[in-house]
Amino acid sequence: MKMAFVVCALGLAVTGLPASGSAQAESAPARKGTDAPDPEALLAQSDMSRNGWESYEVLTTIRNYIDGDLKEEGSYGTSIKGADRTLVKFLNVDVKGQYLLMLDDAMWIYMPNTRKPIRITPLQRLLGNASNGDVARTRYATDYAPTLKGEETVDGVPCYILNLDAKREGATYHRVELWVRKEDARPRKAEIYLTSGKHYKTIFYDTFAMIHDRLLLTQMTIFDRLREGSKTIMTFSGYTPKEIPEKYFNKDYLEKLR
Amino acid sequence: MIHHGEAAWVLLCLGLLAPAAGAQPLQYRFSMVDEATHYSLNGTSPYNPGNTVVPQPEWGNVATTGLYLGEGILSTSLALTSVASGVAGPDNAFAVHELAVDVSLTDALDLVAGKKILKWGTGYAFNPTGVVEPQRLPSDPTDRLNQNDGRNLVSLTAFLGKTSITAVYLNDAKYADHALHWGQNEVAARVYTLLGGLDLSLVAHYREGDRLELGANTSYVIGDDLELHGEILGKKGSSALYHEILTSDDPSQIFDSYPYVPFYADSKEIFMKVLLGGQYTFSGGVNIALEYYHNEEGLSLGEWKRWMNFVKFQSAVQSGTVHVPAALVVPSRMNLLWSLLTLSTRGAMRDYLFARAAYSEESWGCETICFMNANDQSVVVIPTLTWKPFLSLSVYARYSAYAGRDDSEFGSLFWTGTMTFGVGVQL
Repeated sequence: MKMAFVVCALGLAVTGLPASGSAQAESAPARKGTDAPDPEALLAQSDMSRNGWESYEVLTTIRNYIDGDLKEEGSYGTSIKGADRTLVKFLNVDVKGQYLLMLDDAMWIYMPNTRKPIRITPLQRLLGNASNGDVARTRYATDYAPTLKGEETVDGVPCYILNLDAKREGATYHRVELWVRKEDARPRKAEIYLTSGKHYKTIFYDTFAMIHDRLLLTQMTIFDRLREGSKTIMTFSGYTPKEIPEKYFNKDYLEKLR
Repeated sequence: MIHHGEAAWVLLCLGLLAPAAGAQPLQYRFSMVDEATHYSLNGTSPYNPGNTVVPQPEWGNVATTGLYLGEGILSTSLALTSVASGVAGPDNAFAVHELAVDVSLTDALDLVAGKKILKWGTGYAFNPTGVVEPQRLPSDPTDRLNQNDGRNLVSLTAFLGKTSITAVYLNDAKYADHALHWGQNEVAARVYTLLGGLDLSLVAHYREGDRLELGANTSYVIGDDLELHGEILGKKGSSALYHEILTSDDPSQIFDSYPYVPFYADSKEIFMKVLLGGQYTFSGGVNIALEYYHNEEGLSLGEWKRWMNFVKFQSAVQSGTVHVPAALVVPSRMNLLWSLLTLSTRGAMRDYLFARAAYSEESWGCETICFMNANDQSVVVIPTLTWKPFLSLSVYARYSAYAGRDDSEFGSLFWTGTMTFGVGVQL
C-alpha cells in the first residue's frame, strides 16, 4: 500500500469526519454585526463535524482505482485524540504490525522488523511503500487560516467557500478550498493545491450516517488531478468514542503496540 | 542444530501464552524467507590464499522462518534458520530472539522483563547511541534474515506527555550445561523528549569493568521532504581490542599467543562515535538517505596498513611465496585466522559513508545501498530489485559488489561479488 496514499487519505478522512448532532443543527455562524459568516467560526464548526469526540477510534478502508479498476486496498485502525495526536495501525497482511504516529508536526513510522520508530517526512517513501504524501491532521482550524471566498451551489447544495492557507508547518496542504454546507457547515467538497499552485486533488464528502447519535461521514471520494483516471474511495466504520491512553501517542510506546 | 536450552525457552513461552490466549485473540506475525546466493570469490584476498585458510563456498542457501506471538503482557519472537552451502551441510538453528513480559504498572509507568530487542538510535545504518541494541549489519538494516537477537533485561519506562524516561538493567546470562552463567552487569538510561519538533534523547550506559558512555541523538524534519538526524557517543578510554602488530613496524612476525589487547583501557583520551545523516524525498517519490559515521575506536589508515602488511606476510607464508621454518607454518595460519578478528561487520576503520536510494510502485520496488570506507575509498554496492505479485509474497534479486584496492577493507574481502535470489512470505 502506498504510504502517501494512506496518510493523505487518512488526513483527508479526518477532515471529513463526524459531525456532531448538535453542531449540524446549528446554522452557519455569522460575524458580529454583519450577515456574513465568520470564516474562523465556520471552520471550527466544520471541524466539530469532523471530530465528534475528543478521543475516538475508527476503521478506515481505502480502495484505489485506476481507470475504474481496483488497484489496491488497505484497512487501517485509526486512533485520534485531540487536535494533534493520531495513531494509525496498518492492518494489511504485508504491513502487519506497522504503525504511523503523528504528534504535533512530527511523524514517525514504526516497522516491526526494524524495531524502532523512524522519523519521516510527509513526502518520504519507505521500504517498498510509496511516498507518505501529506500528513494527516484532524482539525483544519488548527492548521489553516480561513477566509470567506464566496458562495456556490454544489450538486444542488448551497455552500460557503472557505479559502484555507496553511499557518503551521505540519499542515497537510499548502492551500485548500473547502465547500461547507450553509445548512450545518458539514464539508461537501474540497480542492487541494500544491505550493506551486498546481491543482492537486478534489475531494467529495459523499455520505453521512447517524452513528452514536451523531451524523458521521461514512464515505468520501478523492480524485487525483495529477494522475488522470485515479480515484480513491474511503469508507469509515466502527466509530467508537474511547479514552485512549496518553502514552499511546508517545514515540517510545510504539514498540509496545501489537 | 537445535539447542536444547532454546527449545526449553519456546516450550515455556508457548505454555505461558496458551492460557492467556483464551482472553483475547492472539496477535501474530509470520515470515518466511529463502535466499540462494552465488559467491564470486576474490582470488587476491590476503585472508584466504587459494581459498584454503577459510574455505568459502561458491553457493549458499539460507532459509529462515520468523514467528512473533503476543498476547496480554507476554510476547515472543522465534526464528528457525537453516543454512547450507557448497562447503558445509545444512545447519539448522532455532532461536528465541525475544521472550518478555510487558506490564503497565500505572497509566504512565511500564515494566519490561525478559529477553527483548531495544533500539535507541536514530540512524539508519549506524547507531552509536544504540548502546543496548543487538549487533546488526549496516547492509541489512531491516533484518530480513531474522538475525537480531534480544538481550536479557529489566527496564522501567515513565511516559510523561512528550517525554519518556527509561532505565534498563542488562545481563547476557546464558543457560548451559544445566547451569545459569551470569554475564557482566550493565545499566543504561535514556531521556527522550519532543521539543518543538526536535526529537532529542540523552543516553548513558555503563558495563561492569568498562567506562561510562554518554551520548545524545536527535532528528528533525525540515519542510515536506528533508529529515536530518545525528548521534554522538563518547567515553574516556576504550575497551576495544587491538592487534599488537599496530605498535610494530615489522610485519614479519608470528605471534605465539592471542595478540589482541585493550591498548586504551586506562587512557584518559575521549573516544567519540559520531553519526550525521539525513533523508530527502523527491517529488517523484525517490527517497535518498545519506549518513556519515566517524568512530574513533576504529583503525587509522596508518594502523590499517600495518595490520594489512602483517596479514599479507601470513598470507604469503601460507601460499608458499615466503618461506619460514616448517614449525612456524601452522602458527602463521593461526595468526592469519586471528587477524580476521580485526574485521567487523560495522567497519574496522574510522570513517564511513552510507547512501541509500529507493523507489517503489505498487507491485515492485528498487533500492541501491552504497557503503563506503572513506579512509581507503573501498565500497560495497548493493542494488536490489523486488517484485510483489501478491500482498504477502515478494520475490527479489540482490547483487553485492565489493570494490577497492587489493589491500583496502572491502577490496580485500573473500568475494568480489555475490548474487542473491530470494523469496519472502508474510502472514
